[in-house]
Amino acid sequence: MAKIIFDHVTKEFVDDKKGRVKAVDDSCFTVEDQEFMVFVGPSGCGKTTSLRMIAGLERQTSGNIYIGDRVVNNLHPKERDIAMVFQDYALYPHMTIYENLAFGLKNLKTPKLEIEAKVKRASEILGLGDLLERRPRELSGGQRQRVALGRAIVRNPKVFLFDEPLSNLDAKLRVQMRVEIAELHKALGTTIVYVTHDQVEAMTLGQRIVVMNRGVIQQIATPDNLYNKPANMFVAGFIGAPAMNFLNCRIEQKHFVIDQDTVFGISQEYQKLCKPLIGREIVLGIRPEDIYDPHLAPNLKNPGTLHAAVKVVEKLGAENLFYFDRAGVTVTARISAQSRVMAGEHVELLMDLDKVHLFDKESGMAIR
Amino acid sequence: MKGEIKDLKGASFYIKRGLIYMVLILWSLFTFLPLYWMLVSSFIDPNSSASLQFTLVPKEFTLASYSYFFTFNKNVLRWLFNSLLISGVVTLANVFFASMAGYAFSKLRFPGRNAFFWTLMSSIMIPGQVTLIPLYILVVNVFNMSDTYFAIILPGVVSVYNIFLMKQYMTSIPSTLIDAARIDACSEFGIFRKVIFPMAKPGVAVMAIFTFVGQWNDFFWPFLVTKTSTMRTIQVGLSSFKFADSTQFGPMMAGAVIASIPMFILFFALQKYFLQGITIGAIKG
Amino acid sequence: MKKMADADNRWARNRQFIQDYGWSYIFIALPILIFLTFTLYPLLRALVMSFQTYHVMGSEWVGFKNYAYVFHRELFSKALINTLLYTLGTVPINIIISLGLALAIFQLGKKSQTFFKASFYLPAVASGVTISLVWLFIYDPMPEGLMNQFIHLFGFANVNWLGKVDTALLSLMFLTFLGGHGSGLILYLASLGGIPKTIYEAADIDAASTWSKFRNITWPLLKPTTLYMLVINVIGSFQVFMSAYLMTSGGPDHATTTIAYLIYQDAFEYFEFGVAAAESFILALIIVAISVLQFKYMGSDVEY
Repeated sequence: MAKIIFDHVTKEFVDDKKGRVKAVDDSCFTVEDQEFMVFVGPSGCGKTTSLRMIAGLERQTSGNIYIGDRVVNNLHPKERDIAMVFQDYALYPHMTIYENLAFGLKNLKTPKLEIEAKVKRASEILGLGDLLERRPRELSGGQRQRVALGRAIVRNPKVFLFDEPLSNLDAKLRVQMRVEIAELHKALGTTIVYVTHDQVEAMTLGQRIVVMNRGVIQQIATPDNLYNKPANMFVAGFIGAPAMNFLNCRIEQKHFVIDQDTVFGISQEYQKLCKPLIGREIVLGIRPEDIYDPHLAPNLKNPGTLHAAVKVVEKLGAENLFYFDRAGVTVTARISAQSRVMAGEHVELLMDLDKVHLFDKESGMAIR
Repeated sequence: MKGEIKDLKGASFYIKRGLIYMVLILWSLFTFLPLYWMLVSSFIDPNSSASLQFTLVPKEFTLASYSYFFTFNKNVLRWLFNSLLISGVVTLANVFFASMAGYAFSKLRFPGRNAFFWTLMSSIMIPGQVTLIPLYILVVNVFNMSDTYFAIILPGVVSVYNIFLMKQYMTSIPSTLIDAARIDACSEFGIFRKVIFPMAKPGVAVMAIFTFVGQWNDFFWPFLVTKTSTMRTIQVGLSSFKFADSTQFGPMMAGAVIASIPMFILFFALQKYFLQGITIGAIKG
Repeated sequence: MKKMADADNRWARNRQFIQDYGWSYIFIALPILIFLTFTLYPLLRALVMSFQTYHVMGSEWVGFKNYAYVFHRELFSKALINTLLYTLGTVPINIIISLGLALAIFQLGKKSQTFFKASFYLPAVASGVTISLVWLFIYDPMPEGLMNQFIHLFGFANVNWLGKVDTALLSLMFLTFLGGHGSGLILYLASLGGIPKTIYEAADIDAASTWSKFRNITWPLLKPTTLYMLVINVIGSFQVFMSAYLMTSGGPDHATTTIAYLIYQDAFEYFEFGVAAAESFILALIIVAISVLQFKYMGSDVEY
């Protein structure tokens, strides 16, 4: 039973050039017991610092951190009942795999027989049985990754912490390990906090996701909600690939006006929302996958026509990416590969007006 | 395949290569010459007329010069022992203390770290002559340690240069290993002893070898703080021979051979460490 | 009540500090202690001494008298000139030798490289005492001396190498040319290995000559190493002592009296601690000034 609570946690660093920098700014959230929580954001967003504070490798400047029912503010990592998997695996190169797995238990003065049993069980779960006498450098990347997982498993902790564990693996192995980690979570039923900069990893693994930027939490939500109801432009742009298109837009009586060629009727669902905004400039967001080739489009309730002078077509196999300029920005559209449109053509594309996102121009917050 | 490529290089390549080898071998013979002559003349009978005739191939081979050197002073063996003891202790102390300090300066964060580090480093820039006299007065008159092992050993117990060397070396050890060890419930000293030190062994070996050789070859400080013959190191003893009898070159060279042979053996046995050691501290320092 | 809470807080903070940093300070404690006792204290003491005339029982404050004496002392200027000559005559030549050897060795295969590295490094393992004694032997003034035998081959007459004013300092300089290139050589080889091959390939495509490749690629890219060698060697050569002490005792007629040797003589033969201290500070200032100049002059366009 271990939930993790961040209660107004702030971490300041003193940087030589910039002075005091807030790596984590007034962070509040709860990771429920047995939950798989992912921290995601660009580098320097505070996700790793948050994880290290849970681990006890950094001390917060202010605020409280709870693991289970205990305040762990001043506890040493070894007293927090956690285990951690590092990005570069951090295996001890001078020890055998067995010694690597047993090191933590040995330091905790676990009886020898118990260590043996635990190491054996973990190595069976992870298929490391015949590697125990080898040294880390004799192992492949995937095998090292498993040892790093095993080192966490043998401790049987209440909380697992993962710091970008897959980023050093090649693409194929990464997918495979992703599945294994998800299965591991199911099997062990521990609380997991997982840090990544890769939004695909975040979306596929996390039960809930914390999106961070510059030390500030942007949104905490399930993957679905993050995708469908981003709280602000940062989240909208960060989740989903290719990223959401943002167009400046003026709201008039019954229309979104982007430029003289690009005027959309405001659909039923949005009318109430837009009423108080009439005459205001906002940002209209549309995902590339919500733009269609008219010949291939499904039945859209509220289509809007988008004139496009297609500059580039990238063929990805199952689909094509179109790039064209509209109202001063380059718009990306994700179109089925069956489309016959070529680069250089002027075409009309359809936009699903029920899927547009509206954002306040100044604050970037979603208008809901 | 490889052979074909070589063939393409043609005659001029081999002529150039040959010239390079010739110059290098000649020059290295030049640099070997003094040492070679030291060895050759140490096998000449000190009383024979050949003692001052240089020949490339030794005309005679006797150990008379060696026995002369060992009988010249009854403490010669004691000097060798002193040198061994002092160099050993200084090396061990440096292995222990310099690697600990190097670890703290490279991997731990604590208030005043940079200030402490650069304060220590600044002492490298102070020429030895400046501190020599007060140091001498301190050790000899204040601590009253004249003519003791302590007097020779204490100032060298942990050298700033070695700390710098260890810091440079340990910087390349990934910091996440320390984090991992903390999570693995390792104590702070345990992290140093069980994780950092074993990983830094190649660097430590380099440092140990250089420290040992440096201490063995050190002359001036042991010379200043020792008075009685029994407390001398081999280098000090050897120099005293020079003053005692400067015409007896044979025995003098025998002494020089005895003083340097242990270092030559060490060098040939641990060549690899010598050759890589020099670059640790200097490149991108 | 509040006071107690404050005390508790302070105690908690202290405990936290010790928990976080205690070991760090333990790790560096001994070096700091050694530094304070055997470097900082002697340094300050030396500074004080340089303004005193030293007596075992209570020294006498004499202000700048020692410094004034040193500046007007003919022997000090002579020692300074000797040291300068020694530095100018040895450092550049030895750096060129190291670089030349490194360039030659660098073209060879891996095994040959190791072999030559080792054989050039070997003399550096011998002690200063050993080297001095061997060269004392080589410079023997009798016709049987090795150096004399060598010049006889070319028909020159006997020379009393270490015993004559003209040749003594030169002889001390010459012995540095044959040995002690090991570490410089290895440093140069390491930096040569660090130059990307693609740069030379690009130069080959541009049809650059061997000399132009050296002038425009190798030399500029080796500059950091050259600077390092220059600084280290100049500092070392300004403190040269061993050969002057063991081979010539500073003579003849002070022709080989270097500053370091003069300081030694003043301190430990004449027990003029104050004068010696003043001289040592002047030496330190000269060394610092030269190092700074070298960095300014050569370091300005060095990129790391």
